[in-house]
Amino acid sequence: MIGFGRGRSLRHLRLQVVLAIAAVGAAVALPVVLVSVGGGVSAHELANLENAGYQIVVSAGGLHGIEGAHALSEKIRSIGSVTVASPVLSVAIDAYSPSGSVSPVLAEGVIPGEFTPTLGPTESGLFPSPLPLGDPSDARHYANGSYAGPATYDVLISTPYEAASGARVGDQIVLSPTANRSLGTEYNVTGTFGVPPTILGPIGAFAVLVPLSDLQVLTGYGPLPQSSVFDAADTVQVAVTGSVATDPSALSAVQGQVQALVPFYSVSSLTQEAEQLQSATSVLTGFYLALSSVGLTVGLLFLALVLLRRVETDRRSIGVRRALGIPGASIVAGLLRDGLVLALLGAAAGLLGGYVIVEGLARWATSTVQEAAQLAIFDPVILGEIVAGVAGLSLLASAVAARAALHVEITEALR
Amino acid sequence: MNEDVHAPAIELAGATRTYGSGTPEEVLALRDVDLGIPAGEFLSVEGPSGCGKTTLLNLIGLLDAPTSGEVRWDGRAVGTLTDRERSRRRLRGVGFIFQRFYLLPTLTARENVELPMRALRIPRAERVRRASELLGEVGLGGRERAFPHQISGGEEQRVAIARALANRPGVLLADEPTGELDSGNTRAILDLLVRVRGDRNATLILVTHNPEVARRARRHLTMRDGRVVGDVSGA
Repeated sequence: MIGFGRGRSLRHLRLQVVLAIAAVGAAVALPVVLVSVGGGVSAHELANLENAGYQIVVSAGGLHGIEGAHALSEKIRSIGSVTVASPVLSVAIDAYSPSGSVSPVLAEGVIPGEFTPTLGPTESGLFPSPLPLGDPSDARHYANGSYAGPATYDVLISTPYEAASGARVGDQIVLSPTANRSLGTEYNVTGTFGVPPTILGPIGAFAVLVPLSDLQVLTGYGPLPQSSVFDAADTVQVAVTGSVATDPSALSAVQGQVQALVPFYSVSSLTQEAEQLQSATSVLTGFYLALSSVGLTVGLLFLALVLLRRVETDRRSIGVRRALGIPGASIVAGLLRDGLVLALLGAAAGLLGGYVIVEGLARWATSTVQEAAQLAIFDPVILGEIVAGVAGLSLLASAVAARAALHVEITEALR
Repeated sequence: MNEDVHAPAIELAGATRTYGSGTPEEVLALRDVDLGIPAGEFLSVEGPSGCGKTTLLNLIGLLDAPTSGEVRWDGRAVGTLTDRERSRRRLRGVGFIFQRFYLLPTLTARENVELPMRALRIPRAERVRRASELLGEVGLGGRERAFPHQISGGEEQRVAIARALANRPGVLLADEPTGELDSGNTRAILDLLVRVRGDRNATLILVTHNPEVARRARRHLTMRDGRVVGDVSGA
């Protein structure tokens, strides 16, 4: 032990030691924040995927790229073991509240009767069941592709929008594809729905739900003049029977059948998406750790320099110990222990600092950053790996100083 | 305290120590010294600065090895031992007392005395007991928790003597132990060294350039330019 490895000797710590601890602490805090927040967001998204009420998603390139959504959903539903095929169109529009205020909202057009079964356990509690949107199959207004039937003009609004706009069930709001009220259509608020924790921010929180055909007509993604209908959607969410959902090969077979119907669209299963997300999360975690390793290297270089300086200033002390016969191994062990103690103090400070930063972001940061911080997960395994890495590298840093200590000439040091 | 220790018979045969061999700064610190030191001897080494006293002490105490010639303990050559083996022999067999005391400033008096015992892995309770006993023996009972900066130079040297005695060594090597002390403390420290040596039948080799101090020894060596030029045994 060179001098600062014991409790009492901590009184003799100097600025450089405190700085070394701070450097290691800062180097540890960075990955703690990045990995915890990144991992938390990924885990949240993964949970959403795993808890979704559907297993297969059909999507197309570009915005609102699925054509003939009603008909396609019908065809998909005809596949054995498919229970639900729910086309969804998402478009940002403007909503005018009864008081006249305007807000951009995310409008989702759905077939009410198909949409409800695709909700996962968490989401389903947020929506009224059945959805009070008048036409469960959206067949009346859609009218077999003519859009000639009567629209319900019913809308569900999200609770954040309800709170912000003052619109209540029974009120009428105007939905417009552009910031022009005169181009809008009046809708009856027939219900509200909650918004699950999300990292989408306030745009996602201000949302309305209307029948698919209503939104298509409102936004121009519905009927095309004369020729065949456009009937657009962004995705078709497909649910299968329970036994197929839990059998990867059976699910894959259904996925193939859907793909055969739409050879030019992408058909993926949520299992695949989950795997991709996990893979992306691993890559990101590795990237965060690699990024942080730069800071860690600097911190540990600083630690090595502090220990080397310590050896230099304690040359006489080392010489005295060696003169007394204290073995070099004992002096090396002392240095390694000192380095380890400093690094672990730094790591502890880093863990605490990282935690405080994440908590601070969760409380005081704005919008997306705050929501992401609130999802942070402090995974003891990853944190343990970071601390173990710091400990291992600190031993390397200490070994440099230990080598210098062993080269101290006793007779020189005692002069 | 009467506790006889094993004091080895020490011999130097043609011991020479050169520093910076082959360089323009080459220094011949010790030249072909032949010397026999029986077990339990009280020997003083006197001479001007740079005459090789400390080099001689370093060779005897296994802090250094001769460039040529041999150092023997109980007839066995020790100059060629590995660093680790020399450390072990120093730890068990040699007690060093330095002119500037060289107590570790971050340790208390008792912890400084415990230091060599820790390296021998002596249990804590035993270490504390022995350290307290030794501090009592050198007249520092009650100052066990004092740090070096809290005690006088004479007291520091007493702690250093207690530390040198910690592992019951057979050889005590004192390099100008009174060099930093006033005359009162010089006498007291010399009396203490003589007494603890006598109590243990240890070999005491005392380097000094103070003739008055040198005269306290039973045998007196004089050195000049790396050579022993006088070897007188007293009464």
